[in-house]
Amino acid sequence: MTDLSKIRNFSIIAHIDHGKSTLADRLLEICGAVDSREMADQILDSMDLERERGITIKARAVQLSYLADDGETYDLNLIDTPGHVDFHYEVSRSLAACEGAVLVVDASQGVEAQTLANTYLAADAGLEIVPVINKIDLPSARPQEVKAEIEDILAIPAEDAPEISAKNGINIRAVLERIVRDVPPPKGDREAPLRALIFDSQYDSYRGVIVYVRVMEGTVRPGMEIRMMATGAVYRAVEVGTMNPLGLTPRDSLGAGEVGYITASIKTVSDTRVGDTVTGAEHPAKEPLPGYRAVQPMVFSGIYPADGAKYQDLREALEKLKLNDASMRYEPESSLALGFGFRCGFLGLLHMEIIQERLEREYNLDLITTAPNVVYRVTKLNGETVMVDNPLDYPDPMEIQLAEEPFVKASLIAPQEYVGSIMDLCTSRRGEFKNMVYLDERRVELHYEMPLNEIIYDFFDALKSRTRGYGSLDYELIGYRPSRLVKLDILLNGDLVDALSFILFADNAYPRARKICEKLKENIPRAQFEIPVQAAIGGKIIARETIKALRKDVLAKCYGGDITRKKKLLEKQKEGKKRMRTFGTVSVPSEAFMAVLKLDDD
Amino acid sequence: MPILGRRDKTPLGVYIHVPFCRSKCQYCDFYSLTTKDDRLIDRFVDAICAHIRETGPLAPGYRVDTVYFGGGTPSYFGADGMATILSAIRRAFDVTSDAEITFEANPDSVSDKLLHRLRGEGFNRVSLGVQTDNDDLLRRLGRPHNYAQVLTAVQRIRRAGYKNLSLDLMYGLPGQTLAAWQETLVHVLNLAPEHMSCYALKVEPGTPLYDYKELCNIPNDDVQADMYLSAVEILKDHGYRQYEISNFARKGMVSRHNLKYWMGGEYLGFGPDASSDFAGKRFSVVRDLQAYIDGIKRHGPVLREVQEIPARERAGEYLMTRLRTTAGIRKDEYENLFLLPFEPLEASLNRCKDHALATRTPDGGWRLTPEGFLVSNSIISDLLLIQDQTTPFARRR
Repeated sequence: MTDLSKIRNFSIIAHIDHGKSTLADRLLEICGAVDSREMADQILDSMDLERERGITIKARAVQLSYLADDGETYDLNLIDTPGHVDFHYEVSRSLAACEGAVLVVDASQGVEAQTLANTYLAADAGLEIVPVINKIDLPSARPQEVKAEIEDILAIPAEDAPEISAKNGINIRAVLERIVRDVPPPKGDREAPLRALIFDSQYDSYRGVIVYVRVMEGTVRPGMEIRMMATGAVYRAVEVGTMNPLGLTPRDSLGAGEVGYITASIKTVSDTRVGDTVTGAEHPAKEPLPGYRAVQPMVFSGIYPADGAKYQDLREALEKLKLNDASMRYEPESSLALGFGFRCGFLGLLHMEIIQERLEREYNLDLITTAPNVVYRVTKLNGETVMVDNPLDYPDPMEIQLAEEPFVKASLIAPQEYVGSIMDLCTSRRGEFKNMVYLDERRVELHYEMPLNEIIYDFFDALKSRTRGYGSLDYELIGYRPSRLVKLDILLNGDLVDALSFILFADNAYPRARKICEKLKENIPRAQFEIPVQAAIGGKIIARETIKALRKDVLAKCYGGDITRKKKLLEKQKEGKKRMRTFGTVSVPSEAFMAVLKLDDD
Repeated sequence: MPILGRRDKTPLGVYIHVPFCRSKCQYCDFYSLTTKDDRLIDRFVDAICAHIRETGPLAPGYRVDTVYFGGGTPSYFGADGMATILSAIRRAFDVTSDAEITFEANPDSVSDKLLHRLRGEGFNRVSLGVQTDNDDLLRRLGRPHNYAQVLTAVQRIRRAGYKNLSLDLMYGLPGQTLAAWQETLVHVLNLAPEHMSCYALKVEPGTPLYDYKELCNIPNDDVQADMYLSAVEILKDHGYRQYEISNFARKGMVSRHNLKYWMGGEYLGFGPDASSDFAGKRFSVVRDLQAYIDGIKRHGPVLREVQEIPARERAGEYLMTRLRTTAGIRKDEYENLFLLPFEPLEASLNRCKDHALATRTPDGGWRLTPEGFLVSNSIISDLLLIQDQTTPFARRR
């Protein structure tokens, strides 16, 4: 076990795209943890999707061995955090495993919404914050101003913050020296009953779940009986060790202050919830570590295979993803329109998109997804309260006493010239203005309370386009509030398409119904006959479009040489139709579903 | 007995592709050349005759009851070459005495001499490219003739003794209105042809027209659909029965050769870019005159895209080609030929019937109505999809 004074546990926090992952790569490189030849860019983000999107989805940790200027060798445990608001809770647990945080701020962008949110989180967790100014190689870099911003807005001394370029490897050692100097070494009694904080877990098909922990007190050794304090699951530890960039290194024990992993032939990550405390089964700790909460999915959507025959494949794929993602939830559902599929719950819209993309990419599935919705709370006249995560389960309006929807506290930061358009946007999304703070002479932070439902559609895109990309957003759930809700149904050629039904705020029903009808009209190909597209609330039609009948789709000439060509053309048309879903007599391509999901703001 | 013996043989169509034209029309994507050099023509005739000579023995069980010279412009290519090639066909194949022997002609290249000579050789059907009666349009389309030449050509064809004349027209031409098209059609019908083909202008990539299609005011799909439906109506009023999407004939005067393409008949094509469907295979000749000549001379390969068509695919072809015709498709025929269930298709056809896109034939089959023909790609692709989904033991993707 490493002496406590030679351990530093830290995270890197940043707004998205400020260079967190690139800095992590450089730290690894300098510590000789990875040969630069062996290193694919951004080694911590090992999922393909993470690398493509440039975001870190799952937190990871790595141990670096650093020979500091004082001649001592330190174990630096870097705990990577997800960089998106959907993964708020995971970030907080990762931070709880550390004593310090390196705050990366882009030298030209300055402080943004997630910089603030993450800094507050780190400060709340009692971490020492080490500011670093990144991307100083950019012509637009303004390190002095950004340092002043950090001091003014975050109240963190930043005058001597290292000015670095993670991309070009400039001044990286200064960051490491600062970590050794400023981040306090961990404390903890290695003889006390075990308390280890789970900050991540990952399913491995050979070892079962690999549980990533920070040992706060006590010591864990292979062979020891361990218990997850929240889930109550008991296992025998098979192996403990530390994480290296290129794999796991088994050790005899992990003691207080150390960061490492435990394997115990655990079959599913749902037994190893992030934030839970691992203790010894024989000498358990009295209290778990504070801060655990069961993560609740906030956004739900139906996921169906485009080809009904692929239902089993989809189920197997979801089972496998679930092994690695305790925050995702799914249960079978069936739709008249789409057949058999699953209702899935996600932490947020990004989380949903990531899961969909992984299903399509890693499991080669064509999917149809229904419009995402939040969970509504409905109190019926008979006093019964139901949580509705599927529009199809929405009670009859006559039975409803009170309908409520979840609200969030949203924080938006943008240059002040965009305040007007942000306010317009938030007002149009039923936002309730709370206050506005000037962060500096240029930038403003606005606080709103608004329904989560208004954020999950396309709010972030709308914000980005209204602020030319400068606006940033952070939000957290603040509870349920009464609302006037209605269920909107869509009919094609007079037949209800259950998969297109959804719940929304009554005042938004007309404009949205019109927009949906228009979008469907644009995206459903003309058929051999006219198709009415209608939107209805409780049987009353409130919007209508008509897809005109196809007039002409014919090959005038088809002689000997044309037949092969014509065959190809018709085969192609047929394949196109194969990818569509038939509702009654109408064929709908999956793009039409996507188009309904992505209603533009204008 | 010899007569009976002949009737036992399978009918075969022979198609000759003559790749020469006076000039290239703006919309045309057929393979043809505008060079007419005597030596090249001689070499082409030698090559195609050799090709025919070598192929004949491969078709002993067949009788040729239709021959079609297309192109290109056979009339421009000239009577000598055509006569030589037809003789080669007669020597290599068993050509029946009542064979339909057609050549395509343009009004600017039908002299009395050519017409008489070919009539003497046994040609009995002429397909004349008229396209429109509007001289301005003819010029803009790059046609090498005016409408006055059409009138003269028809007179000469009749004088030379051809009893079977087909005229080609196009609609949906740049700037054309519905009324103008109707007038053109009625005007041309005064020439009393036995057969009419009316094609919608199709702007093909790679043709000169394609590059400026946005600029020349081509009627939209709705107008073209109206033009088509009114043509079907006018032709019917004048005694022409529709037998295929774009083809109409007086009683008994259908193109027997062209019907082979749609009714599943067999045909052999000679000359560059000619296509065949013979003995279960589809194949085409290279689309290059020089490569064709060289290939034949050296006994090298001259075919491209040789495809053995499996029965399952034939079932798709059946729907695709037969539904172009007013003969349509039949349950018993379909089930016997392909051992596939017809019933699933019927649900879709019934829906078409509800929208007046399909109708029952007197023999209990199904055919498309003119409105149905207009959207036939969509209808047929629906049927192909159903066919896929209901084929027993179909392989899953």
